Amino acid sequence: MDKRLYIAIGLLSSSIIAFQLVLMQILSISQWSHFAYMVISVAMLGFGASGTLLSFTGKWLTRHIAVALPMLMLSTALSMAVIMYLSELVFAGFDSYLLFLDRSHILGLVTSYMILFIPFLLGAMAIGLVYMHHVSRIGSLYFADLFGSGLGGLIMVFMFWQFKPALLPFVIAMLPLTAGLLLFQRKYMFGLGSATTIVLFCILYGLAYPPALPMSQYKSLSRSLLLPEAKIVETQISPYGEIKLFSSSSLRFAPGLSLNYTGDIPIRKALFNNGNWYGPLVDFNNPDSTHFLDYATQALPFVISQPQKVLILDAGTGLYAAHALSRGASSITAVEPNKAATDMLNRYVPIPKDRIRFINHHSRSYLMSDTSQYDLIILPVIESFGGSSGINALNEQYLFTTEAFGEIWNRLSANGMMAVTVWHDHPARNSLKMLATLVEMVAKYSQDDPELHLAAIRGWGTITFIATKENITEKNIAQIRAFCKTRNFDPLLLPVIRPDERSYFNQLQDNTFLELIDRVMTEEREAFYSAYDFQIRPASDDKPYFSQYLRLDRMGKMREIFGQGSVPFLEVGYLIVLVTFIQIALAALILIILPLLAIGFKGGSRWYTLIHFSGIGIGFMFVEIMFIQQFTLYFGHPIYAAAVVLSGMLIFSGAGALFTQKFVIGKACMAGLMVAIVILILFMAFFLTSHLNASISAPLFVKILLSILFIGPLSFLMGMPFPFGLRLLGKHNNHLIPWAWGINGCFSVVSTALATIIAVETGFRNVMFIAALAYLFTMVVNLRAKWN
Amino acid sequence: MRKILLGFLVIVFSFPVISQRYDRMREAMVRNQIAARGIKHQPTLDAMRKVERHLFVPQRSQARAYDDHPMPIGYGQTISQPYIVAYMTQLVDPEPGDRVLEIGAGSGYQAAVLAEIVDEVYTIEIVPQLGEQAKQRMNDLGYDHVEVIIADGYHGLPDKAPFDAIVVTAAAEHIPPPLIEQLKDGGKMVIPVGSPFMVQTLILVEKIDGQVKTTNLMAVRFVPFTRSNN
Repeated sequence: MDKRLYIAIGLLSSSIIAFQLVLMQILSISQWSHFAYMVISVAMLGFGASGTLLSFTGKWLTRHIAVALPMLMLSTALSMAVIMYLSELVFAGFDSYLLFLDRSHILGLVTSYMILFIPFLLGAMAIGLVYMHHVSRIGSLYFADLFGSGLGGLIMVFMFWQFKPALLPFVIAMLPLTAGLLLFQRKYMFGLGSATTIVLFCILYGLAYPPALPMSQYKSLSRSLLLPEAKIVETQISPYGEIKLFSSSSLRFAPGLSLNYTGDIPIRKALFNNGNWYGPLVDFNNPDSTHFLDYATQALPFVISQPQKVLILDAGTGLYAAHALSRGASSITAVEPNKAATDMLNRYVPIPKDRIRFINHHSRSYLMSDTSQYDLIILPVIESFGGSSGINALNEQYLFTTEAFGEIWNRLSANGMMAVTVWHDHPARNSLKMLATLVEMVAKYSQDDPELHLAAIRGWGTITFIATKENITEKNIAQIRAFCKTRNFDPLLLPVIRPDERSYFNQLQDNTFLELIDRVMTEEREAFYSAYDFQIRPASDDKPYFSQYLRLDRMGKMREIFGQGSVPFLEVGYLIVLVTFIQIALAALILIILPLLAIGFKGGSRWYTLIHFSGIGIGFMFVEIMFIQQFTLYFGHPIYAAAVVLSGMLIFSGAGALFTQKFVIGKACMAGLMVAIVILILFMAFFLTSHLNASISAPLFVKILLSILFIGPLSFLMGMPFPFGLRLLGKHNNHLIPWAWGINGCFSVVSTALATIIAVETGFRNVMFIAALAYLFTMVVNLRAKWN
Repeated sequence: MRKILLGFLVIVFSFPVISQRYDRMREAMVRNQIAARGIKHQPTLDAMRKVERHLFVPQRSQARAYDDHPMPIGYGQTISQPYIVAYMTQLVDPEPGDRVLEIGAGSGYQAAVLAEIVDEVYTIEIVPQLGEQAKQRMNDLGYDHVEVIIADGYHGLPDKAPFDAIVVTAAAEHIPPPLIEQLKDGGKMVIPVGSPFMVQTLILVEKIDGQVKTTNLMAVRFVPFTRSNN
């Protein structure tokens, strides 16, 4: 029975983490990733709620554990299997896109919370029940739990390549089903057997007839499918998302095209990822040397030079690579992290491999490990046409930090330049922040006046900036002016510029935007960053949120200026995290207080229990989030890095938990453990980045070894306080175990949103300091604790 | 039987009341959302007062048809916020006798507003289902000088060109070259940029002596607020 119990717990934990990752994928396809984040954060509160429920029902369930435990596991499997069918009900008439516009959609949101919450609640109840019943073996059980979770994360990387997202919930549901079967006892054969039959039928039915994923009608793929002769040519599933090759006779893509262009736009096919626009399929072998991007502001670098060696970062489907090719570049390196997209591109478009080399890598990591020199480095376009309303605000964009720009500058040849294009936005944010980042880069690395190295032109929709290693010459200025005149563009920045030429073809309602641009160019730009109503100070690796512009201290003013309820239209991404945090913090508070109705408000070790399990919940999650942030950059593959870090942390923590099984716990032991954790966290906060940067170009196996070296010891230690705490409770306060389980669950969920807010506002290093503080405070309280 | 008769009488007698309610809502919409935000073009204000917006939205949404926001009409499309419709109409400065092209008929509301002012309106819709609905609606409401064409608006209508004004309601990330060609010298084209549910800006394109110039009209939703705060 012992072995079977451990395997069952491992299987159940695997399924829970796998299910969480699948839900994220499904909701990102069906709706939007920020909505997925919000729903799943709330659903994960099922862990907290399980503690609350166990506080009320734990005794009864423990008495009937032989039936209750397998039934809880079977119910988890059933709820995972039917979720796809229930989600059809949720999304019928509901669209998260309309959430801030039409309050009736809030009901849909709440319903989706409720439905998606159930599998996590049932699964966590099963684990919590086992901890209650077998507290003396908590170390080894917790090991099984964490080891299973770690394995679940790794398995999903494989599963995402093999199964369609709609099938995955049914595949995953087999894990808790197997877990339930392992714990069967013969005398309850009839009841449990009947339940198994029902669950198995649901799973098999779902595998045979998987439901279609409903997709928001406002997603770009849904809208494109309404075009004439629209069809999906191929679908490729991968951990990066669901890539679809789409074609239509009416599909054209020419961002910010000059109004003087009279030719055709020869695009009929494009890629979509999770229903979102990814990029057009372009011809790399067009014998005609003219390219429609010659009529876009993006042509600016080619106006003043003929770069031979070109690096294109986040190259997507290679639109800029094709353009550089048409302009005579002899060696083009296109760095694109999404392997599934590049594979599909290679299948459908002949790429001249002697001149274009696609590399599947995180662009920033590539920059850090590459030592070549380039005549031109092109960055991806910032934001999208019409703005994204801040949906990307919480995406960590390491390519647009001051450190990244420094690396780009160092990769430029003696006469090289970098180019980046932004869409116009209003109120002006991304153009100002981009210029600020460029100015700071030139000022720092060229030791020269930025005005002599920067140029920008403006069309009706886009602005393209270039930063040159050498000074921009008079000849260059004349070339840019001549180009603007033929394309109906206006110079925005030149070393010498006339006020009347800045808005000749593309007029503005007033000169405010031009004045703001000029203020960034002055020495007083630091004061301007502080005074401006949006966050336009350049992003850094510590706060890598280029597209996050909303300032908490100006929210009141924003409401005053733009009207009540208008802030979501400016930046929904950060707002979602704030709203999510408030929601889960309130729910967590209720879930933590409720069990006290059953176990009483006074006596025992309630305060110590609360502080111990909340402190280690916060500390663990903060460190986990910081590790994912650091190692994503280090490995250069976000999904694989997340899988390695998550799995590594969980498995090592599990090993730490297993280790505790051999020890008798005392205050000194606990205090020593906490001090060791705090020291290691502080070490990471100060030295991890520099150590990782130093080995960024090392071979993969060296990187994995180094990662284990960094992640392993700290994770091992961090796996101990939870089983230690539960065992202490088990000695004298067994009835507090479900409450402690719930507290830990609640704080783990609250911490993920809180860590993001802290990182956005004060930087990642402070997330680490707070993690250390949480452990330190827990240690102090433990020293004073009277656990009996 | 008595219940059916009673129900019938309630419907018959309440019709004028409902109709009057919409009239009042429309008047309030023009006064509070449009005129108050600086729209002064009298033909536009008159047209907005006249066109029954609630007939252009799905039946279940009719009660909210005059609210100050865009509304979904299905197929991922929307009927624009009333203020945007008025602002776009004012920008192209329509006059009686003008020939206007609209790209993206949607529900047909923008075309109906334009049709209250000009003599000829051609509106192109790429989604067949929406196009058919708009056609039917125009027939029912007696807009016989509005022609709804189901086609790809990218190519415009070369046979009917040139146009005094072109209103593009379904924006793309580039302005189709054929539309620039089909704009009359001295004509105006207006294009919204951005999702209707986010911050939208308008681009006004003018052809003067063969030269094409644009004006970026900032964030439409917030125009009165931002202007006063600048």
